[in-house]
Amino acid sequence: MIHYDTEAGIMVIKLVYYGPALSGKTTNLLRLHDLLPCSGRGDLMVLDTAQERTIYFDLLPFFITAPSGLKIKVKVFTVPGQVKHDATRKAVLQRADGVAFIADSQVRESLNNATSFENLEQNLALVGLDPGRLPLVIQYNKRDLPGIVAEDAIRSLWWSSGVPLFFASALEAWGVVETFQCLLRTTYAALDATCCLSARHGLSMEAFTCGLTVPDASPGMRER
Amino acid sequence: MTAQGSISFVVGEEKKLTDVLSESDVLPLLKSVVGAGLDLAAIVDMTGEPLWFFVPGETAPGAMLPLGTALECRPIILSGDIVGRVHLSAGEGIDPALLRFLARVVGDAVNSMVQTNLKRMMVTELHTKVVQMSYDELLEKNRQLSASEQKYRELAEHLEMRVQERTAELKQAYARMLQQEKMASVGQLAAGMAHEINNPLSFVLSNLETLEKYVRRLSEHAGFCEGQLRQSGSDDLAGRVEDRRREQKIDFILDDLSDLFSQSLAGAERVKKIVSDLRGFSHIDEAEYSQLDVNIEIDRTLSVLSSEIPADAEITREFGAIPLIVCRGALLCQAFLNIIRNALQAKPSGLKLLIRTAMNSKDHITVVFKDNGPGIAQDIQARIFEPFFTTHEVGSGMGMGLKVVYDAVSSCGGTVTVNSREDHGAVFVITLPVNGRTDE
Repeated sequence: MIHYDTEAGIMVIKLVYYGPALSGKTTNLLRLHDLLPCSGRGDLMVLDTAQERTIYFDLLPFFITAPSGLKIKVKVFTVPGQVKHDATRKAVLQRADGVAFIADSQVRESLNNATSFENLEQNLALVGLDPGRLPLVIQYNKRDLPGIVAEDAIRSLWWSSGVPLFFASALEAWGVVETFQCLLRTTYAALDATCCLSARHGLSMEAFTCGLTVPDASPGMRER
Repeated sequence: MTAQGSISFVVGEEKKLTDVLSESDVLPLLKSVVGAGLDLAAIVDMTGEPLWFFVPGETAPGAMLPLGTALECRPIILSGDIVGRVHLSAGEGIDPALLRFLARVVGDAVNSMVQTNLKRMMVTELHTKVVQMSYDELLEKNRQLSASEQKYRELAEHLEMRVQERTAELKQAYARMLQQEKMASVGQLAAGMAHEINNPLSFVLSNLETLEKYVRRLSEHAGFCEGQLRQSGSDDLAGRVEDRRREQKIDFILDDLSDLFSQSLAGAERVKKIVSDLRGFSHIDEAEYSQLDVNIEIDRTLSVLSSEIPADAEITREFGAIPLIVCRGALLCQAFLNIIRNALQAKPSGLKLLIRTAMNSKDHITVVFKDNGPGIAQDIQARIFEPFFTTHEVGSGMGMGLKVVYDAVSSCGGTVTVNSREDHGAVFVITLPVNGRTDE
């Protein structure tokens, strides 16, 4: 967690969109920005890019206030996928509360997916996070393209790991919100265990998830 | 961050408005908007406290809010959060539309400044972070390299030691091999010579016996002839024969002949025994392992050495009743020989050597060699079984004698120890198992 101050009633959570180069991490954030109402979030901040490729990171902040008055800020980051930016990936990954791994569904990208996932596990360990316990969801993006790995093959690949799996097309704007909601739920579960979100702050998992992703589900919960 | 004194950032850490904006950023803006006829332009935080402000003319600190009656506010947003407001106020006379317009312009300008500054800060922080992490990684890599260099250095040093150890081992093995070869060739030579000597010796022996018989018969015959001559009454002829016999000292010759024969036979028998001892000592005719009587082996060794033993040496043998033992006879004899020879060399005159054999336990025997020589100094006792260790002058000995004893006894499954004080002689104790086969 980036920041948790019970006195001031502020909690800042970090979620990271990880994955190989050009798998659609920034597109995911752009779609979230488009699909979710602006009342519960800030603007998407896209740091400098080089030829449309992320070189630093993108940031999309979300807000929710718990019934206890705790202001929760959820900062969603992307990392640069290119191999050469490993140090930046490591820096962004520091103190993350949850990770969405965005894989490229195309058959020819399978090796890159595996390499990037290995890199994620390595970097998590290097910044002191346990890859086995950190909230994680996997999204297979670009389902709209031809030459993609079949869903069954992907399911059987990940089945034993128990990691929640989503299929999406960020370009066609489907599967994106579902991925994000699942990441929020698993992150909530982990945070609730350590910070008593429901017991101390009266914030349930559904209120947390819906409050951040569905505008009209719990009016009055949002700050603005 | 691992390095001390480094700057620590967490990407995405919360920023305050005062972190992002500075007075030099906002004051010119506030100043110019006040120039358009306002009473006050300020940037206030969420509690309404002014962070930066500008008023026309003299600045009077405190209680300047609200100055004017007309008031216009614009929120300042920092990464999606309202963190403060642009606060403009003017007197009655101002056009509200102008005030709103000015507020919007200043608000937009401040917000875009905040946005730009935040991006710049985040990029800078990320850069710092990345550089720091790379630096830490380099430090770590350096540490690992130093460690591995250290390891290789140690390895190299040990390598030298290992090479030295191995070289010493090789040298020992080579010396042992030389010694064994020497022994083997001595053994073969002895065996060959023994064979060559045995053949003529046996016909010398048998001829001597036959010759003795013949001579006895000849002298009998001469006696018979003389008797017959005396009885025939021919005194003259008998007298001449008698004179001739006395002239030739035949009586003395006949007396001496038996001595000569017995001495020659004894000499030849001794040669035969020496040859057979030499063969026995070299164990050239036996399999590597054989059953042998240690007492006999010691006797054999002594007889092989007999030429080296001075007349004044006093060798006492106290042989106990010991069972036959199974071991490599040749090696064992060599071991005995080296110990006895050592004693002979240590005390060339007046040597008193006690050799005692006894049962030690149910399946071990001991052989003790106790001499009255000068003994072995305490500080070299631990080294005497080392190869090439010698107290003799260079060239007079290889320093292998006791090493051979040690190896021989070890290869028979036994042990050898020394107990000595300077000027009080030395005691070597060899303990041997009754069944000393070590290669099974």
